[in-house]
Amino acid sequence: MDTLLKYIRRNVKVKVTLLLAPPLIFLAIWFYAPFMIVGLYSFDMINIYREITFTPSLTHYSKVLSWTGAAGIFLRSLYFAGVTVALCLLIGYPVAYYISFKVKKYKDLFIILFIIPFWVSFLLRTYAMMSILDERSIFNTILVSIGLINSPIKIMYTDAAVILVMVYDYLVMMVLPLYANLEKLDKSLLEAASTLGADPVKTFLKVTLPLSMPGIMAGFLLVFIPSVGEFVIPELVGGPNNYMVGNIIYEIFMGARHWWTGSALSMLFIAFILSLVIVYVRRVGERGLAI
Amino acid sequence: MKIMSSFLKIFTIMVFLFLYSPIIVMIIFSFNESKSLGVFTNFSLKWYEKVVTNPEVWRALYNSFWVGAVVTFVSIVLGLMMAMAVTRYSFSGKSILESLILIPIIIPEIAEALSLMIMYIFLNIPLGPVTVIIGHIAFSISYVTVVMRARMAGYDKSIEEAARTLGANELQTFFRITLPTLYPAILAAGLLAFTLSFDDLIKTLFTTGPGFKTLPLVIWSSAARGGVSPELNSLSSFALSISFIFALFRLRTERSVGR
Repeated sequence: MDTLLKYIRRNVKVKVTLLLAPPLIFLAIWFYAPFMIVGLYSFDMINIYREITFTPSLTHYSKVLSWTGAAGIFLRSLYFAGVTVALCLLIGYPVAYYISFKVKKYKDLFIILFIIPFWVSFLLRTYAMMSILDERSIFNTILVSIGLINSPIKIMYTDAAVILVMVYDYLVMMVLPLYANLEKLDKSLLEAASTLGADPVKTFLKVTLPLSMPGIMAGFLLVFIPSVGEFVIPELVGGPNNYMVGNIIYEIFMGARHWWTGSALSMLFIAFILSLVIVYVRRVGERGLAI
Repeated sequence: MKIMSSFLKIFTIMVFLFLYSPIIVMIIFSFNESKSLGVFTNFSLKWYEKVVTNPEVWRALYNSFWVGAVVTFVSIVLGLMMAMAVTRYSFSGKSILESLILIPIIIPEIAEALSLMIMYIFLNIPLGPVTVIIGHIAFSISYVTVVMRARMAGYDKSIEEAARTLGANELQTFFRITLPTLYPAILAAGLLAFTLSFDDLIKTLFTTGPGFKTLPLVIWSSAARGGVSPELNSLSSFALSISFIFALFRLRTERSVGR
């Protein structure tokens, strides 16, 4: 026992192994192994009797890739996520800019006031949005009663509802990295630009905006990834015509119970997300992820 | 320039209104006497009465709490081991390890949850509280490790050496010196792990067995079934107050420790 302890004490490799083994084994079994099973299904290496066979085939991939419906839903997810990112940027940039540049005294208060709604869990925020988008909601009642609109706005179960709720849920992911970026920005550069004769618009376009690109990129990734893989929001505020990739994977697995096709689609989707992140890390560097 | 400033100010205020109004409307209408979602008739606690007297809600709340507690404890132990290995020692394959830690944060939860469910079914593992807890730990380890690693960056190892020189053995050093020094990091990571587990919907939805529901599952099934209702407004406001208390805790620890 004593000699064993002494051996461990001296040997860094043993220490590292002992520290890493439990968490890594846990992750390997309960996080990575499920994807291996899904991988086996996608290559048709598990049959209906749940036996592993060693005859890989690409039939399920070719089925998914030749299915135009899947391509349409994939494009729609990209479109939804793209619009969400664009709206988050359009709404979030002025807010981050205002708090960082114009607010002098109560900066922390503003940021905390901004973050408080995001303390509410994602599901509850989505539900709160449903209570406003509903045809019978107070907003529709007020708008109709003051005569601004003739009949209640029917926005639930449309593309617009899905995008609006995604913007509501993920806006924080855009504003916080942007704000952190703008705060770090060397403000004397802006003074230099105006001293050298640039008007405010030019200063913004030539100095502030390029310097805030890292924040924009980080916000892009942090909003785009959860949006493109969104499942709960289309399920709650979208109809069958507003489904995204996550919903269709769910339908194939749980509705049609065709695990092979579902697996192939999952694998393609995960490969897409991972390659997006890899491109991002290559271009921006790993620090871009650590916000 | 002046005009620009006031435009930004008005825009920011409108964004704040956009952020707050759904939550405030939901809370206000949870106190509405009538079933109407558009007209507030009278103040009433009757929807809360319905929520509070519903045993399903209490059972779900109880489940959420104990699942969260187990998840927090296990992911702190495992995450602490990982964070200590990464911050204290240099070894080959470290960058691979770091991406292995980050991947669970990146992959969409729906893909992760369905894959885990498929493996459970493939291996004939009966679904229930245990499978839910395992599913939660599988993603919270990563978050715990990332938070702890960030907080452990400036850790001063010399106090441990001092303790060893003064005759403490490894265990004494760990429990008397290392753990208390890391307390803020552990607290921050623990609160995050608890919140992630407490609020989780997707992983729970696909890894739970018959009859085992957490609070988000109760809210989800009634929102997916019947949409907005006054009763769900009050249940959600009730759940909101709980997440708020935890958020305040988190804010306090972040304040006292500094970012």
